[in-house]
Amino acid sequence: MNTLANNLTAVKTDKKINSELKTEFLKRYFRVVHGLFFVLLLIQFLPDRLTTDTYAPYGIWFAVGVEVITLIFSALIKKVESLNLFTDIVGFIYGLLIAWTLATAKFNLLKAALFPPPGKVFWQFVDDYDKILVNIQSSVGIILQGYLLALAVAIPLGLFLGWSARIGNAATYISKFLGAIPPIVYIPYGIALLPTFKSVSVFVIFLATFWPVLSGTMSGVMNVEKKTIDSAKVLNVGKFTMMFSVILPASLQQIFIGCNQGLTVSFVLLTSAEMIGAQSGLGYYIKNYSDFGDYTRTIVGLIVVGIVIVIISFIFNTIQKYLLRWKQ
Amino acid sequence: MSKIEINHLTVDYTEKKKSFTALKDVSFSIEEGEFVSVIGSSGCGKSTLLSILEGINTPTDGEILINGEKINGTGTDRGVVFQHYSLFPWMTARKNVAFGIKQVNHSASRSERYRIADEFLDKVGLEQFKNKYPSQLSGGMQQRVAIARALAMDTDILLMDEPFGAIDAKNRTILQELLLELWEGASPRKTVVFVTHDIDEAILLSDKIVMMTANPGRVYRELKVPFDRPRNRSELVQTKEYNKFRNDLLLLFYSDIADKIGGEEVVL
Repeated sequence: MNTLANNLTAVKTDKKINSELKTEFLKRYFRVVHGLFFVLLLIQFLPDRLTTDTYAPYGIWFAVGVEVITLIFSALIKKVESLNLFTDIVGFIYGLLIAWTLATAKFNLLKAALFPPPGKVFWQFVDDYDKILVNIQSSVGIILQGYLLALAVAIPLGLFLGWSARIGNAATYISKFLGAIPPIVYIPYGIALLPTFKSVSVFVIFLATFWPVLSGTMSGVMNVEKKTIDSAKVLNVGKFTMMFSVILPASLQQIFIGCNQGLTVSFVLLTSAEMIGAQSGLGYYIKNYSDFGDYTRTIVGLIVVGIVIVIISFIFNTIQKYLLRWKQ
Repeated sequence: MSKIEINHLTVDYTEKKKSFTALKDVSFSIEEGEFVSVIGSSGCGKSTLLSILEGINTPTDGEILINGEKINGTGTDRGVVFQHYSLFPWMTARKNVAFGIKQVNHSASRSERYRIADEFLDKVGLEQFKNKYPSQLSGGMQQRVAIARALAMDTDILLMDEPFGAIDAKNRTILQELLLELWEGASPRKTVVFVTHDIDEAILLSDKIVMMTANPGRVYRELKVPFDRPRNRSELVQTKEYNKFRNDLLLLFYSDIADKIGGEEVVL
């Protein structure tokens, strides 16, 4: 009797585990996002209203690519919250593609010259791949040079000035005044001073990053708890250790606020500057082709700028998270 | 010669044009290997006194001698445990201890420092938590790390400013016994100056209690604690002598406070 009862419960738990696995599987792979993918495929069968080529196969290949990636990630991402976030983003992309396809290729609601269908944009992206890469390199190169140079100068200087400002002096006010000047107004002066567009850009980005990082570092240093400094003092730390092993990490969070601000401003400045005076870069790419009425490439440029900024801020946030991992 | 001599220490603070005397003519001495508690109600200047010993504050008048030499700022002969913020939140427990060791022992290699750090973290019962950040540790564990660091630095003198003041009652008891065990077990024993407002804590740990009184901060009484070592709390608290000593101490403590209140009433 006993064994029979045991067997029965074993069968029951087996069933239970099975059904749990099933719901887990359903939760993971049967999501609204995949429905949207099929809707996107289905609307391709509607007749085209555009007279020009819609490049529909490119659009379909793109969607299929995204779907494959989504399925791979669905299998790989362990946390439900992260998976939800991911599929929500993909769902948004599909929704956008559906609306875009309907409004352009299928119903021709928008001006065709200004709003190319998604397939055409994707085709253009693939076709212009090498050109885009060169322009990304140019823009990101300028940003990195100006930005990293600014960090290398502003952080040590901010530590030093902030430390002396704790005792009280004019450094705070001077940096507040200079930082209040919008960096774009330095451009004419930079042009007079420096030989090439590239060096002017680096200079302007340097300034755009320098002031927020300097004042962020200074206010970080000035807000370090006196008790933290006291506990370093009673350990008899030297000046250098105090500065770089105690004051720097203690003010890191505010330094990052300055860095973040500098990064945002740098991108705004660079892309605008490239639209005005450059012969390369993402801003130039967009402006140049819109001047020629090539709005497919303009849209490609807009999307690429978006992607580049998202990737850079992702890298930035990862670094920040790692360096501040000791915070709760 | 005493290990620490405090001679006619006076500290005046000026805040918003008001002058305020935190310590007035405080003098006492501490022998080598002696555990001295400084007790008193809040505002009696006991923490000010300790901050001068630490070298963070400077007195308006008077001096402190260690081994006969006048102190000037902080020194590697003194290890400190504060009530809060002793640890650096961006360093793990182990790095915090190793960082302390590095400041007193520049020649020790990184692995040597980590080895000593681990040894002392083991002593305070934190071998499992070596790689945790302070924010991941409870208040009691943080104080254990701070104690481990102060001991690992192997200074002659240990200065403790209400180290268990913010810990819950049960953990405070455990930490007091841990400190007692570590201090009594070491040879030679370190010279300790321990600031507290907890009378039981002071009796359990100290060889001598310096009672201070407020407005201005002065030494009210100095009392030898007459109990043998090693001490055991549960046995000690059951003795008649302990209870008599504790009651006398409480009486002194409250008579001082009663004097103060009475005095102020007269003024009113």
